Amino acid sequence: MIRRSRAGAALLSLAVAAGLAACSSSGDEAGGDAVTLDYWLWDDNQKASYQACADAFHADNPNITIKISQSAWDVYWQNLTTQVAAGDAPDVWTNQGSYYPQFVTSGQILDLEPYVKADNVDLSQYQAGLAGLFEKDGKRYGLPKDWDTMAVVYNTDHLKAQGLDAAALEDLSWNPTDGGTFEQAIAKATVDNNGKNGLDPAFDKTKVKVYGFLPEWGDGSQGQNGWGNFAAMLGFTYLDKNPWGTQFKYDDPRLAQVIDWYKSLIAKGYSPALDLKSTLARDALLNAGKGAMTITGSWMINSYLGDSAKVKFAFAPLPAGPQGRKSAINGLSDAIWAGTEHKDEAWKWVKFLASSDCQDIVGGNAVVFPAIKTASDKALAAHEGKGRDVRAFIDQATAPNGTFFLPITDHGSEVSKIVQDAIQSAVLGRTDSATALKKANEQVNALFK
Amino acid sequence: MTSSTPHHPARRRDDRRAAWWFLVPVLAGFGVFYGYPAVRGLWYSVTDYTMLNTPSFVGAENYSALMRDGDFWNALKVTAWYVLLNIGSQTLLALAIAALMHRLTRSVVLRATLLLPWLVPNVTVGLLWMWLLDTNLGFLNHLLGTVGIGPVGFLSDASLAMPSIAAINTWSYTGYTALLLYAGMLQIPQYLYESAAIDGAGEWRMFRRVTLPLLRPVLALVLVVSLIGSFQIFDTIAVTTKGDPVGATRAIYFFIYEEAFRFFHLGYAAAAAICLALILGVLTAVQMRLLRASRSDLA
Amino acid sequence: MRRRFSPGRVLGWTVLTVVVVGSVFPFWWMVRTAITPAADMYTDSSALLPDNPTLVNFARVLGLTSEAEARAAGGSGAHVDFARYLVNSVVYCALIAGFQTLFCAMAGYAFARLRFPGRDLVFGILISALMVPPIFTLLPNFVFVKELGLINTMAGMVAPSLLMTPFAVFFLRQFFLSLPRDVEEAAILDGNGPWGVFWRIALPMSRGPLITIGLTTIVWAWKDYLWPLLVGRAEENRLVTVALGVFLQQSPNTQPDWTGLMAASTLSVVPVLVLLVFMGRRLVQSLNFTGSK
Repeated sequence: MIRRSRAGAALLSLAVAAGLAACSSSGDEAGGDAVTLDYWLWDDNQKASYQACADAFHADNPNITIKISQSAWDVYWQNLTTQVAAGDAPDVWTNQGSYYPQFVTSGQILDLEPYVKADNVDLSQYQAGLAGLFEKDGKRYGLPKDWDTMAVVYNTDHLKAQGLDAAALEDLSWNPTDGGTFEQAIAKATVDNNGKNGLDPAFDKTKVKVYGFLPEWGDGSQGQNGWGNFAAMLGFTYLDKNPWGTQFKYDDPRLAQVIDWYKSLIAKGYSPALDLKSTLARDALLNAGKGAMTITGSWMINSYLGDSAKVKFAFAPLPAGPQGRKSAINGLSDAIWAGTEHKDEAWKWVKFLASSDCQDIVGGNAVVFPAIKTASDKALAAHEGKGRDVRAFIDQATAPNGTFFLPITDHGSEVSKIVQDAIQSAVLGRTDSATALKKANEQVNALFK
Repeated sequence: MTSSTPHHPARRRDDRRAAWWFLVPVLAGFGVFYGYPAVRGLWYSVTDYTMLNTPSFVGAENYSALMRDGDFWNALKVTAWYVLLNIGSQTLLALAIAALMHRLTRSVVLRATLLLPWLVPNVTVGLLWMWLLDTNLGFLNHLLGTVGIGPVGFLSDASLAMPSIAAINTWSYTGYTALLLYAGMLQIPQYLYESAAIDGAGEWRMFRRVTLPLLRPVLALVLVVSLIGSFQIFDTIAVTTKGDPVGATRAIYFFIYEEAFRFFHLGYAAAAAICLALILGVLTAVQMRLLRASRSDLA
Repeated sequence: MRRRFSPGRVLGWTVLTVVVVGSVFPFWWMVRTAITPAADMYTDSSALLPDNPTLVNFARVLGLTSEAEARAAGGSGAHVDFARYLVNSVVYCALIAGFQTLFCAMAGYAFARLRFPGRDLVFGILISALMVPPIFTLLPNFVFVKELGLINTMAGMVAPSLLMTPFAVFFLRQFFLSLPRDVEEAAILDGNGPWGVFWRIALPMSRGPLITIGLTTIVWAWKDYLWPLLVGRAEENRLVTVALGVFLQQSPNTQPDWTGLMAASTLSVVPVLVLLVFMGRRLVQSLNFTGSK
């Protein structure tokens, strides 16, 4: 019987394998030692561009086929961690700062430094600082593929109706006490059911029709889409050193000030309460006309300025805080799984992804800003060719001291959960911001002991 | 349970060989997928294991860390809250529906319809209700809006999220529970109702005096099964709230899942799973005792 | 029972009607959303029927549209193919229900009828597994299936439930105990061995409970989520439930693609509905059976 059930299992796996083969044989190719590399990414908007790269790569290397799998952000990291744990990870995958260190620590990412040296890859071609994000102790765990910065996105028609045009939004100020001219703009953009805006004494904050500002609360330990930028404008830094710091500073009172300012927006009726959060993301709410402004990243340009947008949007620079205007800058990279059977082929592909051959394709499609400076210029030109104004993102990236890097440390997913929970509980009013953040900081730092 | 045979067959049979063949698949399945993993789980619970390293022995450290972990206690607390809400509402509703059916109709179509929500995967149920309850576009908030209430953040308000999850699962499981109770009611002899009616008892009194006492064994069994099931709430939460807001719906199953497969603290998760097993074991034992008590009551 | 119209009966029927409507209406809203064009989501009225009904959402979750068409209809660029997931789910349920029922019947019979040393002890140990919450064995089982290299295979997905589940063994043993012995004893006198008795007498006599257990297993397997979520994530062997969870997050820029999701949800209900239509009486009776045990 044991034999029989084993045979059963074997038969099953055969059937499954046959099913797989039937699917994959639909592709072309029957070369001698043809290799298929699995490549994973999460942004469905970028899939087409990287498919174009893969096709170009395949034309140059006919024996290597790239199989691209895309799954959305949350699923992507769940799948990846499970697959890595199961010893069956993709050969090459896209990495982000808060998630990749855990793979470095567990020895799952191939050190690219020897390959980079051997093939003389020029690291100075990339936007400043990006290559360094994926370095640790002389080892290199990925090559930069793109970068993103943050800006304010707003519903132009709605703001115009409230007397706010592009020029009025060009140089706003912000501080945590009264919110500066930025909060004035938010107040003006908030409209109640009677058509009164937030500055009107008759404004009814219980019957808000359009919220002036939509905060993002599912923003992990970084606040890339909001609080992180404001905190940086007050001089806040996440860590003792970045990347690879081990002491977080979430107990910094300046961060609590930012959260308190956010809470004041909710209290004044300018932002929706967290306990009324919808399944709809901020861009959907903006499209539905339920919000006027939010902070967004350059990877969202096509969603807001593309054909699918139902409302006319434009971008404005972030407001300037006491320490100036600061935006998070984040870079992604491509990494090779240490357990891949095709290291050399995988390196060829990663090198191609990090070269101007591929990044020019990506830039030309104007989806994201590639890491290579010249390819980035192509992206800008492509955007301008389509009549899209994306200066807010570029200016911020090139402004002196205009950007800061997101934290790169071990225990990224634990830190993310702890800090996000703390901030949400502060916003929900279960604890005050300072206490919640102080406690979270202790928990977070305990992870590194 | 034990059927006593009046006279033994003359020859004492021993079916050892045959029995072995009958039992091989089940014993293999039990050994490989219950016994072996149980031993392994016990071992993991005293190790530091991330699935990518070799487990290293750490003694009772996982357990003492659990005792100090506020999130673990919170998970137990919100699970208990869920079980209370879910079992309470589900059982009462099911009892009412079963009693009504019992007195009014034998329709199979009606019973099949009531079973529909139970037949659907919890994932589908979760999605469906997440959509119905959405703050901006959900039908329920639309209905509330027409009478001037809301919008209500059913799944995003910390104090409403768990009751909403409990309500969703009550919707999904009440029909099933009602049918189980109804089946139990069908076994109650009809003449008891007739004689009660002759004594002039109304429906409510018949329910209290006849149905409820005679239903007790079935009710107890149904309670045991749904209680244990309730503790294992996972699918609905994994689809809708993912433990949010701020852990208000991070029930124990979801807690263990996250520890194991999001943070890869496998040893820690195994220790938490053992604590859960112990709690469920004690609860089941207590319930079984109650169940037995009610059985002997009847006899 | 004689009085046809009493306020109590009217009230009772009213309550039952409300319950039935409450059970069914959410399903209608699911279908109604599924036939609504995504572009109408914000503008469409809340009437019982959409203003511009369409089947495009079904087409795109079944993978029948091109990427561009799917995007135009409100989907993401991600590939979805619920036809394949449905087939996977059906195969998964059939394998588990078939094998598990057979093996558990064999064991149940052995525990009820055969004599061998240690019978009650072995049975007791098997039944003790009923007390253990599945998540406890789930973690090591995942590691084990990973060691076998069966992650993302149908074999790995069905393995832990293919051979047994303690409840089915318990349930079928109870049933075999309740069968009258005379027929079997006659068959033994006719020279049948234990196998012969089991196959020719006991199994045919227990069609009812076998179907009960089989149906229940199918329903639970159809609802399975956590285990397949861990070992069956790959596109090729995703079950409907796992695929729904993935699809929820697959949507463009984290905004759930509700029309597509409801179309996919509808598809996940259809097989169950078919089961209910054809086997409804059996299913309902099977509950009587479990309920009275």
